[in-house]
Amino acid sequence: MKKFDADAMGEKLLRRLAGGTSRRSMLSRLGAALVAAPAFPLLPVSRAEAAKPDRSPEAKTAFARTAQSKDETKCDYWRYCAIDGALCTCCGGGIHSCPAGSEPSPVSWVGTCINPDDGKAYLIAYRDCCGKPACGQCGCDNTDRETQLYMPQLNNDVIWCFGTSSMEYHCSTAVLVGAAS
Amino acid sequence: MSSAAVRGFFATAAMGFALCAAVTVQAAPADTTAALEPETSDVVTMEPPKPNWFFVDGGWDMPGTSIFDGDSGKMVGMVETRRLADMAIDPAGKYYYVAETIWSKGDRGTRQDMVSVYDTRELKLITEITIPDRILIGSRKNNFIISDDGKTGFVYNLSPASSVNIVDLVKRKFVANVELPGCASMMPNPGVGFSALCADGSLATVKLTGSKADITHSAPFFSATDDPIFDNFTYDRKKKETTLLSYTGQIWTAKLGPAPTISAPFSIQAAAGIRPGETKPLELNWYPGGRQPMALHRATGHLFVLMHMGEYWSHKASGTEVWEVDLATQKVVKRRPLEEPMNNIEVTQSDKPLLIMDGEKGTALVIDLATWEEKHKIEKAGGSTITVADPS
Repeated sequence: MKKFDADAMGEKLLRRLAGGTSRRSMLSRLGAALVAAPAFPLLPVSRAEAAKPDRSPEAKTAFARTAQSKDETKCDYWRYCAIDGALCTCCGGGIHSCPAGSEPSPVSWVGTCINPDDGKAYLIAYRDCCGKPACGQCGCDNTDRETQLYMPQLNNDVIWCFGTSSMEYHCSTAVLVGAAS
Repeated sequence: MSSAAVRGFFATAAMGFALCAAVTVQAAPADTTAALEPETSDVVTMEPPKPNWFFVDGGWDMPGTSIFDGDSGKMVGMVETRRLADMAIDPAGKYYYVAETIWSKGDRGTRQDMVSVYDTRELKLITEITIPDRILIGSRKNNFIISDDGKTGFVYNLSPASSVNIVDLVKRKFVANVELPGCASMMPNPGVGFSALCADGSLATVKLTGSKADITHSAPFFSATDDPIFDNFTYDRKKKETTLLSYTGQIWTAKLGPAPTISAPFSIQAAAGIRPGETKPLELNWYPGGRQPMALHRATGHLFVLMHMGEYWSHKASGTEVWEVDLATQKVVKRRPLEEPMNNIEVTQSDKPLLIMDGEKGTALVIDLATWEEKHKIEKAGGSTITVADPS
């Protein structure tokens, strides 16, 4: 079984970000910062992980055992395994869509969640929608593999509205990035 | 509006005020000993922070940090903290410092980051120290810290590159921004600068010489992904030590200095005579949890930890028990059940210490540590981090 690998997750996310965005200077700067941040400090973690107990996505957490795949407006929808905040699906937006007038953050924290329909783990980017007051609907706080601030890409308390015209937090989406291989 | 109408309006208003005054006087209770005097509005001058005072951040839904007297249970004032601001108290008790972010047009316009300085007696804004940037996150006590001598402030920043803003609190000037790649959550390191926890499982020490920073790392001693250390750890300025607690319940002590020494960990569950916490699913056990899950009483060396029954990755869950750990003997000396789950815990460092907790409903509890008697239950106190005058 594959171990949980923050480095690989970060790389996949960055490749997606690099492939799907223009060369606007703000994004380039954010991308550079993100590349620089995880590259060096995470290397020793990867080595240390070899000796750690099994915590693969396939070993199901309490959340994964009860998650459902039918209703995106409920906290137990499978992609929300590490989400914190108001669900954009309850605020006029969608699972990967910001409500009208708000703006998606180009960077995000991530989760690795198991789809109950195929039993496979997927990398989910929790992109905040920014620029409106807090939506307040459907507040969830799920914490599978959620870490602390020194590993911000896996922390769900940070306001991720970087690079948007306003840093005001409105709601959170759960964008499927790909299979967590 | 014609001038006659304006005069008429003011005449009516004046009559209204006069009537109000008359009614007020008539409604007042009979006082036969002294004539009631007309009053003027004034403003209270407070005392500097006292050992049994505590400060409750209102959290996401309630701006402001309310100040309570733990002995009386009464609110005595409020420090102006907006959403996602961080407050720190001058060790000499003269100032409250607030690291905060505002925009020129409410939630848009020009962003302004600053450390606002308030005097502790009048709670008046003395000055604003402009800083380049700061992280936006709530419920953290180690993103804005002050050196033990009160002269330097450290404000953590994530832009999303990781760095720290150094602030001279004597000259009230921003000094420098130093990069802190892969690390966050700071503690003072007296005579050196500061230390911080890192994603590689190490403790970084940042030696500051003016605006120059030299970063060294301890050997990795924890796993940031498998068993992270809660970033709301404690710091003991008397012993120059930090106490660290991980999601599974491992406890370390680190002696700070140019090259900090980190103790071997012990399990809080084993210290209570039960099996240690594990990371694997389906392992039901007692785990530490909450936003501010532990508090250290320095004089006794006892650590108070919010514990709940659950599975691993439930680290934000509120505690249903408080476990009192004697750090010297590595034993849990008491387990106290709570009537209502609590999310943040702090202890005063006075001769008669009080344990303070608050929960997700914003209710705060004040408990006498000597007797475990509930002295006060304060509704709508606030639901986020708790600070005391001489925090650990």
